[in-house]
Amino acid sequence: MSSADWIAISPLIAVAAAAVVVMMLAAFWRRHAIVAAASMIGLAVALFCVLPARSAAPRMVTGLLAIDEFGLFYVGLLLKGSLAVAAVSYGYLRARGRDAEEYYALLLTATLGCVTLAVSAHFVSFFLGLEILSVSLYALIAYTRERARSIEAGIKYLVLAAGSAAFLLFGMALLYAEYGAMGFAPLAKALKASGGANVYMLAGMALILVGAGFKLAAAPFHLWTPDVYEGAPAPATAFVAGVSKVAMAALLLRFLTQLGATDSRPILIALSALAVASMFAGNLLALLQRNVKRILAYSSIAHIGYLLVAFIAAGPMGAEAATFYLAAYMITTLIAFGVVAALSPRDRDADAMEDYQGLFWRRPWMGGAFVAALLSLAGIPLTAGFIGKYFVVASGIGSALWALVLILALNSAIGLFYYLRSVVAVYARPGEEAKAADRAPGFSLAGGVALAVLGFSLILLGVYPAPLLRLIQTAIASL
Amino acid sequence: MAIGLEHYLVVGAVLFALGLVCCMARRTAIGILIGIELILNAANINLIAFDRFGTGRFDGQIFAVFVIILAACEAAIALAIIIGMFMNFGTIDTDVADKLEG
Repeated sequence: MSSADWIAISPLIAVAAAAVVVMMLAAFWRRHAIVAAASMIGLAVALFCVLPARSAAPRMVTGLLAIDEFGLFYVGLLLKGSLAVAAVSYGYLRARGRDAEEYYALLLTATLGCVTLAVSAHFVSFFLGLEILSVSLYALIAYTRERARSIEAGIKYLVLAAGSAAFLLFGMALLYAEYGAMGFAPLAKALKASGGANVYMLAGMALILVGAGFKLAAAPFHLWTPDVYEGAPAPATAFVAGVSKVAMAALLLRFLTQLGATDSRPILIALSALAVASMFAGNLLALLQRNVKRILAYSSIAHIGYLLVAFIAAGPMGAEAATFYLAAYMITTLIAFGVVAALSPRDRDADAMEDYQGLFWRRPWMGGAFVAALLSLAGIPLTAGFIGKYFVVASGIGSALWALVLILALNSAIGLFYYLRSVVAVYARPGEEAKAADRAPGFSLAGGVALAVLGFSLILLGVYPAPLLRLIQTAIASL
Repeated sequence: MAIGLEHYLVVGAVLFALGLVCCMARRTAIGILIGIELILNAANINLIAFDRFGTGRFDGQIFAVFVIILAACEAAIALAIIIGMFMNFGTIDTDVADKLEG
């Protein structure tokens, strides 16, 4: 490896080094504030390393990692998301009061898995990144181990994620058997030379889509989502929902684009089926929920359905729409779960609708941020979610996917109902007991700053998306 | 009769099917974990067989080593969570853990 290679992968190295440092701190100097600060500094250093890495791009490092504008854009996005999760976690864990230090080491290894996925261009780095992410997430989800719900969520995620990873691996083995290649680029070449789809290729792709669909929580692989979102501690839920899905979607985007898989009719049909099932399952089941974390879980399933429409639209426009949508989705989700984390008392998570009754009158800023996140999820103008949805619809129309676009519009209308129901609750006059119990025990200065920055970006992207769009265009052009 | 690629593939397919049945039929968390390990090893056998009889570049075998390491990590975390489950529920039967709705 040359020195340029090292510079190109410096963001990954910085995250890995930060994970080791934080693990050492957790072992020898157990001070929550110091461990939290160290992990945030580590993530900030990694974020800074993206700049020199960009000057070394584009570059294939050892055939496993493709450091290009596309990968680095997602690395930057994931690191920012992870930084926000770390900041929000601090207040939540401080309120909980014990054994908080190891959490940050797990958060950093999970982030390492995410950034590996974002730059992966080979089955080995794909599987390695996915497993680093998954194994860290098992522990993060079950982290509040004195709560039975948290452990149950951990077990559910463990069983299903490990099973789907095994499926994915078998799919990779099938593709390797047929084409004798594991890198995405050699695989694409072999695929083209063999002249189209055959049984091995379709079976392998189907198994890989099952594995990826599970991580993205696309219906019908969504069954774990509400339980895990409800049981996991709120900041870990924010990471699962906001960050890990973006990483998996980035990998899938690169994989499908490089393989030209969207030219293959059976794969398009499979993706369309996933998209339609996710939109309907997410929105219709969300209507039945009263628990805020479960509503957000079903809403995230629906959003993956919208995202898949942009995947199906394919081409540069589809990829751009998907990337913008993911950025908007990540910001929005992190705000929503960040507020849940800040409001959570010591012994449980603030996930009942009553916890949000009149939130705006008790805590105007927190209530405002929560409402902004809900409106962005619903796709109301002046929020990032609206611009994201606009681009997805435009890419769908550009590729003449009329049926999918119609279903998307119908589902947005259904979604509006339960988002607005939550908004109404936030603005309702609080009852006397809610006033008496008014506290935000999980709130910290770091978390507040993170929420403020996220909220500001949410509005900024909704009003003035041009700079981010230019960045995304250069990123997609390098794919 | 020489042992060829097909024999390995049949073993791999049988192992995959057994692992799948094990995941679905078992009630205890450990049983499900065993099923997952079987599927991973089925994929490993395929990777190594295709490498040996196909490309011969050792990339499949190296991948198999990665998979073995990752499976070990996964088992370590999984057992820790299963101990946590036993502490909370007094059993590792996955049907008993149903505090979450749905």
